[in-house]
Amino acid sequence: MHPTPGEKLSGSAANEAAAVIVVDDDTSFLKAVSRMLRAAGYKVHAYESAEEFLEAEATKESGCLLVDLKMPGLSGLELQEKLTNEGSALAVVFLTGEGDIGSSVRAMKGGAEDFLVKTAPQAELLDAVNRALERGRTQAEKLRKKRELKELLGVLTEREIQVLSYVVRGRLNKQIGEELGINERTVKLHRTNLTRKLRVPSAAELTTLYNEAHSLGVLPPLP
Amino acid sequence: MLLKFRHSCLCIVVACLCSASGTAAPQRSPGSDARRVLIVFSEGKDLPGNILLEQALKAKLQLQTTNTDEFYTEHMDSSHFSDEAHYRIFKDYLSAKYKGAEPNLVIVAMARDYALTEKLPPEVFGAIPTIFMTSSELEVPNSLRRRDVYGVVQRVDVEGTLSLIRQLQPDRRKIVVLGGQSASDVMTLERIKGAANYFPNVQFEYWTNRPIEEIPAQMAGLGSDAVLLISSIFEDVNGRPVYMSRAAQFLAPESKVPIYTFSIGAMGSGIVGGAMINPARMADEVARMALLARDVKPRRPPVLISTNSVAIVDWRALERGKIDTRRVPSSAEVRFRPVSIWEEHRVLISAIALVIVAQALTIAALVAQRAQRRRAETELLQQRTEMAHVTRVSTMGQLASALAHEINQPLGAILRNTEAAEIFLKSDAPDLAELRAILLDIRKDDQRAGEVIDRMRGLLKRRNLELSAVDLNELVAETVDLTRPDAKARQIRMEFTRATGLAPIRADRVHLQQVLINLILNGMDAMKDCANGERFLSVAVRATEADAIEVSVTDAGSGIPEDKLGRVFEPFFTTKPAGMGMGLAISRTIVEAHGGKIRARNNPTKGATLTCILPLARN
Repeated sequence: MHPTPGEKLSGSAANEAAAVIVVDDDTSFLKAVSRMLRAAGYKVHAYESAEEFLEAEATKESGCLLVDLKMPGLSGLELQEKLTNEGSALAVVFLTGEGDIGSSVRAMKGGAEDFLVKTAPQAELLDAVNRALERGRTQAEKLRKKRELKELLGVLTEREIQVLSYVVRGRLNKQIGEELGINERTVKLHRTNLTRKLRVPSAAELTTLYNEAHSLGVLPPLP
Repeated sequence: MLLKFRHSCLCIVVACLCSASGTAAPQRSPGSDARRVLIVFSEGKDLPGNILLEQALKAKLQLQTTNTDEFYTEHMDSSHFSDEAHYRIFKDYLSAKYKGAEPNLVIVAMARDYALTEKLPPEVFGAIPTIFMTSSELEVPNSLRRRDVYGVVQRVDVEGTLSLIRQLQPDRRKIVVLGGQSASDVMTLERIKGAANYFPNVQFEYWTNRPIEEIPAQMAGLGSDAVLLISSIFEDVNGRPVYMSRAAQFLAPESKVPIYTFSIGAMGSGIVGGAMINPARMADEVARMALLARDVKPRRPPVLISTNSVAIVDWRALERGKIDTRRVPSSAEVRFRPVSIWEEHRVLISAIALVIVAQALTIAALVAQRAQRRRAETELLQQRTEMAHVTRVSTMGQLASALAHEINQPLGAILRNTEAAEIFLKSDAPDLAELRAILLDIRKDDQRAGEVIDRMRGLLKRRNLELSAVDLNELVAETVDLTRPDAKARQIRMEFTRATGLAPIRADRVHLQQVLINLILNGMDAMKDCANGERFLSVAVRATEADAIEVSVTDAGSGIPEDKLGRVFEPFFTTKPAGMGMGLAISRTIVEAHGGKIRARNNPTKGATLTCILPLARN
């Protein structure tokens, strides 16, 4: 169950995002790395396989995923692909037992940004985790903002969105009326309604809102 | 003497055959599917393009013929005799000539408009299948879109020719178009004007209102940045037919301006070239329509309209015009290029080269064979003395990387645990219970790393191959018995076929058994997804002719993907999700150390067969 957008906005997301999710079939390493991360102050969820993680109730939307490259069943790369397809904002760091990093990196072109051997120094591992957490946070923030805007703009009618697109371009009610072929008074009514629905009084703030919505792909660009 | 006698015999036989066939078919009456095809050219016999077309047409149609098919060609010469009286005479001539031997297909070729196709065949022969072929720009009239009239309309390739000009001579800024005044000519010019829009840097000039005789003088006034493109001229300013090929023949020999045109009949006159109608292609289409008309008889016969062309250039004209021959597009056909010695005597040169190469190969093969024999002798010696060492080293190399992977897991865990412990120790009141747990885990992982090494060392034991006389039947039987409990648990039927009268081989029992176990377990793994009752593993020993014994393990699983067949013996190659990819690599090393070979192939029905071929003991 994904939380509904409403719950998501209320603020639990920020804490959830700080978690490091570790997936590794080698239980001994899984335990050790989780222990070290917890001791270093991270919130950790550990899973012995990709399947177990996917079935878990935990959020798959934000945070950092530390995953073994080679696992029986779903491999690390396959898990990453699946999450990407599901629109997850998790940032992935791969771990591997074998030393031949060069070829593995080439193999996962376009995959994760971080890739470490299991015997990598602590500083390097924590660095990678921190970077991933940061990336996960921004990704999750974007996702949240997008949902919020979608919800906000979802209550507008098609005509109101049309009127909005003219308002943010600085058109007067009369001009908008002519362009859309409707009465000036009707335009005024639409305008009042959308200002009320969006709870944004000034035209400048409306423009900011519109541009933000566009940059997140919620609204088309201004014609 | 003898030869002569034979020869005369042959003659008699041939004569008999001829007379026999003569009596069998006294009168040639066309069968129901025999064709009598009349090709009517609207122009005279001497138009170069039409000559090429007639040749191509006959060649293509003849390809489809049976012996009873017949072809006739008539030329109406309408460029010289274009009045109604001439048409009537021609019509009556055809009626009289073909009376009693009427064709069953008429091809009207290269008429400038569609009037001839509309009138002539029905007026002379009544309802008769007709194919028209033309390069006219005029729209095909609806009256011809009817039963039994087929068409091939091949229009000139304006875009192709303009592109060729730009490609060959990008420095020319002006294209002078020489055109005619008939309706079709005007439409071709319109197409050129349309295409001209795509060449904004080129100035187009159209010459349509002057007789051909005046053109050379006018061309003399053109600058060095111009080329001449001869468009179609069915009618010039005085209403006379000129044609592209004739215009080219008249203008090109004396011209300083490079000339291009659309008609293949103009090639050789001195023009540079053009994207030209390909007569063979056009004839192909007509021949196809002829088959349709005979065999299929579609309700609405097709009319094919296209501008397909082939770029053709004249090598001599390129050189004369100082046009860089490297600019000629690779798809273009180049004509009149002087042939090299290679091109002229290709067969002879190839034959000589072949003989030399064959000789060289024979010598090389003999030398190689000798070297190989020597090497084999040396290798055998080495194998006997250093077999154990070779095996160990190569297995070691293969295992090194797997070892690194296996051992990094516990080492990584130990490292992370140590780091965790360090963090705990920094706190004021370290959690001792947690630290104890950590130390315990470190100890366990250390042990695990040790086990990995032990496992590897088991394979790498410093021990020479201990060769002794081995009865392979007995060894395989023993191994099969060893794996039977496993097979039973996995519901696999196992069958063992022994060979009779086997001589013993010299082998290391323990190593060889390891190989056999490996192959049998692999076979079992391959049948994991088989339905119950279909899991069947067969192990067989048999003597081969070449002083060797084969042991084969055949499973009924899914087989090995064909593209991976060559790689199964490579280290770290595996098709199993949890496999390490070492089993077959080690097996190969062991079998080769015995002087044998190991092979993998897929069975014709299902599953795969792995075969070890081991040499019989010498002496």
